[in-house]
Amino acid sequence: MTINATVTVDPITVEVIGSSFASITEEMGEALVRASYSTNIKERRDCSTALFDIEGNTLCQAEHIPMHLGSFIGIIPHILKRHPVAEMKPGDVFIGNDAYEGGGTHLPDIVLAEPIFHDGVMVSWAVNTAHHADFADRGHAHIYQEGLRIPPIRLYDGGVLMKDVQEVILLNCQVPRERLSDLRAQMAANRLGVERVRALCDKYGRATVLSAGRALQDYAERKMRAGIASIPDGIYRFTDYFDNPEIDEPLEFSVEITVAGEEMKLAFESPPQARAGFNMVYTALLSTVYYAVKTVADPTIPPNAGLARPLTVTAREGTVLNCKHPAAVNGRIAPCQRVVDLIHGALAQAVPERVIAACSGVVATATFAGEMPGSGQLWVYLETIGGGSGARATKDGLDGVHVHMTNTSNLPVEALEVEYPLTLLRYELIDNSGGRGRQRGGMGLRRVYRAEAHCRLNLDNSRLKSRPWGIAGGESGQGAAFVFSEGVGPFVNGDGALEPGQIVEIITPGAGGYGPFAERDPEALARDIAEGRMAAV
Amino acid sequence: MAWRIGIDSGGTFTDVCLFDDTTGDVSVWKVPSTPDDPSRAIAKGTQEGTQRVGAEPSEVAYFGHGTTVGTNALIQHRGVKTGLITTEGFRDLIEIGRQKRPDLYDLQVDKAPPLVTRDLRFGVSERLRHDGSVEIALDEDGVRSAARALKAAGVKAVAIGFLYGFVNPAHEQAAKRIVLEEFPEAFVCASHEVAPEFREYERISTAAVNSYLGPVMHNYIRRLADRLKELGLTTTPHLTQSNGGVIGFDMAARLPVRTVLSGPSTGVVAAQAIGAMTGIANLITFDMGGTSSDVALLRNGEAKLASEATVHGYPIKAPMLDIHTVGAGGGSLAAIDSGGLLKVGPRSAGADPGPVCYGRGSTEPAVTDANVVLQTLNPTHLLGGRMPIRQDLSKEAIGRLAGTIGLDVMATAQGIISVVTANMAKAIRVISVQRGHDPRDYALVAFGGAGPLHAARLAKELEMKRIVVPRNPGIGCALGLLLTDLRANFATTRLATLGEGLVGDMAEIFSGLEEQAEHWFAEEKVAPADRKLRRTADLRYHGQNYELSIDVPEGQITSATIAALGQGFAEAHKRLYGFVAEGEAVQLVTYRAEAIGFVPKAQFRPQPDAGPDASGAITGRREVWFPEAGGFVDTPIYDREKLKCGNRFSGPAIVEQMDATTVVLPGMVATVEPYLNLILEMP
Repeated sequence: MTINATVTVDPITVEVIGSSFASITEEMGEALVRASYSTNIKERRDCSTALFDIEGNTLCQAEHIPMHLGSFIGIIPHILKRHPVAEMKPGDVFIGNDAYEGGGTHLPDIVLAEPIFHDGVMVSWAVNTAHHADFADRGHAHIYQEGLRIPPIRLYDGGVLMKDVQEVILLNCQVPRERLSDLRAQMAANRLGVERVRALCDKYGRATVLSAGRALQDYAERKMRAGIASIPDGIYRFTDYFDNPEIDEPLEFSVEITVAGEEMKLAFESPPQARAGFNMVYTALLSTVYYAVKTVADPTIPPNAGLARPLTVTAREGTVLNCKHPAAVNGRIAPCQRVVDLIHGALAQAVPERVIAACSGVVATATFAGEMPGSGQLWVYLETIGGGSGARATKDGLDGVHVHMTNTSNLPVEALEVEYPLTLLRYELIDNSGGRGRQRGGMGLRRVYRAEAHCRLNLDNSRLKSRPWGIAGGESGQGAAFVFSEGVGPFVNGDGALEPGQIVEIITPGAGGYGPFAERDPEALARDIAEGRMAAV
Repeated sequence: MAWRIGIDSGGTFTDVCLFDDTTGDVSVWKVPSTPDDPSRAIAKGTQEGTQRVGAEPSEVAYFGHGTTVGTNALIQHRGVKTGLITTEGFRDLIEIGRQKRPDLYDLQVDKAPPLVTRDLRFGVSERLRHDGSVEIALDEDGVRSAARALKAAGVKAVAIGFLYGFVNPAHEQAAKRIVLEEFPEAFVCASHEVAPEFREYERISTAAVNSYLGPVMHNYIRRLADRLKELGLTTTPHLTQSNGGVIGFDMAARLPVRTVLSGPSTGVVAAQAIGAMTGIANLITFDMGGTSSDVALLRNGEAKLASEATVHGYPIKAPMLDIHTVGAGGGSLAAIDSGGLLKVGPRSAGADPGPVCYGRGSTEPAVTDANVVLQTLNPTHLLGGRMPIRQDLSKEAIGRLAGTIGLDVMATAQGIISVVTANMAKAIRVISVQRGHDPRDYALVAFGGAGPLHAARLAKELEMKRIVVPRNPGIGCALGLLLTDLRANFATTRLATLGEGLVGDMAEIFSGLEEQAEHWFAEEKVAPADRKLRRTADLRYHGQNYELSIDVPEGQITSATIAALGQGFAEAHKRLYGFVAEGEAVQLVTYRAEAIGFVPKAQFRPQPDAGPDASGAITGRREVWFPEAGGFVDTPIYDREKLKCGNRFSGPAIVEQMDATTVVLPGMVATVEPYLNLILEMP
């Protein structure tokens, strides 16, 4: 039979199959987390799972990290460009991470994609990405400094491990034992996805499952169209500024959004790409737009490719927001966060009650790397720290959470200190950091580390020079900062070192407020003051 | 003579189930709940129930109880004002949690508010290292002044949680001692007592929930124990835990966090027994009470047990069944929302005043009123005649609602049923479709006072083909209590590499756990022949943070035990993740012993087949509204007590019994199976 045979599927079956896709991707994610060794996966859950149709359209992405969609939408087309479908067989597993040839958005996100066969016919793809906390301390002038570039190649050929390939990869990693085990966990996740999709095809028939997949994409498209139609037609513009430890002067980003009926066009402007780690490839921009528009149009749209159909996204090639080879891209999530703020800022003019004030606008990142005292083994520890979430039309913003493009967990202190020569001294909300307003912006976070052994440290942050804006008269949130104990050497481009006993304090931004502070409910204000969230007026 | 009593105290009714050990008969009694102090209704129900069967309180050999006191306090934020003493610099941890936002795309969703407000969270100077050694000694004066400040602020409970308190409890123990010196009347709970496991946020959250609920449960249990004693009950009362097993009152009062799903978990146990009885292994339970409904899924007769779950937004490290609850029941109120749509719930008429038809002053129509108007429920009386019903008042109330939306009374009443059915269907999708199970492969077990009344429409909505209505659906949970074993879990966390050298330590740790279990068996007066101990070890590859639980073979710990564990782990890992990491060290994390005290359970006997003719059970007829048949239909009323094994009849029909009413829709066929469960099948 041909896989394109379309059968009509009743709405209940479509719903059941759609929910099965969702539960399969969730289950894949659990397997990945549980089988992995690195703190970034097993505790921080910096990984995502998805199912794709054979043309490379998302059937379902688990609700983990919106940013990872960028890696997913790139990988299948790049695989198909290099490898004819006719040569694919059960047990093939493709690995890739490159931002320009591998469909990725930065090198640490390594994608594993496995075609799913049912009775000898290829029906879909099981895909997952895990952020391998490795490739540390190498520089971000261009992508060749940022780690090993892997085009989409077979890691497994018909179920047989390509040991030579694996050895090349592992030799380029600082912590090969973790990489190997995390790759095995990624294999476990895809294996589950393959089994579950096959069972689904056994139960409902291949044609029904594939038709339901298409029906679900059409459904997502209809929901997105209805959501956009509910936004008044018009042209909405917004400009914001992006700063980073790697640059002295903030960069200007802007967007022009055209809403016309059921469709939306988003045109971005930004400076030429930089010799720094904060450039974004086009797929990173796309996944950011999909996320941001969905939050405004209708947060219940199923996470599949159909939702992209009514959207047109443009940005000049060679600029920060749509970079080309060989721009470095490791820190791309920070400008992605600013892009969400741009979209919300522009749409605030159309549907102010559906957007929120500027969030922390960054994913504050600390990457520690060093040699383990005693064994001399290399270690790398990556942590991303949340901040304030923007105030809403009728509610305060959330305090101390990951916003927009990521939603990773923190690393428990009791896991951190067992694994690395570091001690966490404080982890708390920052008083007075949320922007004042009728609704208060969310509070930023303070995380304070003490090094117990010499280590290198890379710090990424933003809103060091600008502040997250408020809406409708709401005030700005506090910006970000780093505070070092005495004697810590200078940090250049965010890179530096800590000696035993030295301390670094990372401060993440609060978020903007909503509405005039004078209209704040006196009871809410009194509670904020009693709880030390805000200083007495 | 010996009697066994199971009591489930719901939001609206308190169900009493009495089992005669000698004859094997089950009797049922039901009294209105007393939500301000549920123990009043329990005592009343016990007294009336025992009197009715002619039992003396001293003849009660077992008393089991499932309660929603804890979960209600958590949902409604009616726990006590609670303080927290924690490591300096980490007081916001219970609010930050794992720094994740609650919904990825919906920016309007809020996090559950912290159970301890920020002004009542005190950091004190102290610090342990991960090996349990002390880096900074506990600032005892700091603890003392925090305790005084909390006392002055009027808290009733204090949670204590320090980093690494599970490795070395010395600082938590010292802090608890000091708090109790300053504030002896406080309920004090240290994190190592409730969840001696790593991951500080989840452990401290468990301690905070335990403290928040502590005084509420403690007072409740004390009042109940006193009332039962006054009645002359001599047996030790028991409470169900969230895992479906029961524990003694003393332990329940110390560890209320283990009982947050106490009420609904017994229903799952009952459904399990009904599944075994009827030979239907794949079931979805639908327990619809007055104020809320619980649904759970049993696959091959087993419900999923989690060692940790987030309940109403709060992580709790305690074993619990996978049960989903929605705030909709027979007492849920119908109203028109600001957008002009008909909404049902989550507000409820509760037990007092109850629905309009109780005639106790309520004027807002509830789901029950809709059923009274449609005459699916008896329009003149409920509870076998004990409770008179005012249909005229229900009609008036629904008429007012109908006026505002421009429909007639009957269409509005039927609309209320449609909305509540859609709400229930959504709840069932959460535990079935969303977990990858097709509800059409499952049978619906309907219990709770309102379950059988709504099951047919619900099953139709979900295209489920079969419904099981237990013999006594109104007391499903109470019945479950008579089928539950005593169960307690003991655990020790100590990291070690699995190998020959571990034999000595393992033997020592398990013998320590066995000693605790023996002590518990003795406390619970479990006869040696009824004791069962299951030992497991949680293993992982060195480097992983999630373990697999592997059975420890019975008998003495030897090198063969170690080998068996290694092999069991490799097999489980291969099965689950598809690989074995050859040559990598396996780490033992937690030693566990589960102690089970078998209790004699209600034994049900199959009845002889009396043939298909059910006409002997018809006690009358009334007009019942079935829109699919064009309106009021003259419908036979069957008496559940008179239905015999093998009886068969078609819908439309109504089956009445003391504590429940079953609706059989036109076209459905009802059959009575040998254990007198009613099976409804779709055409």
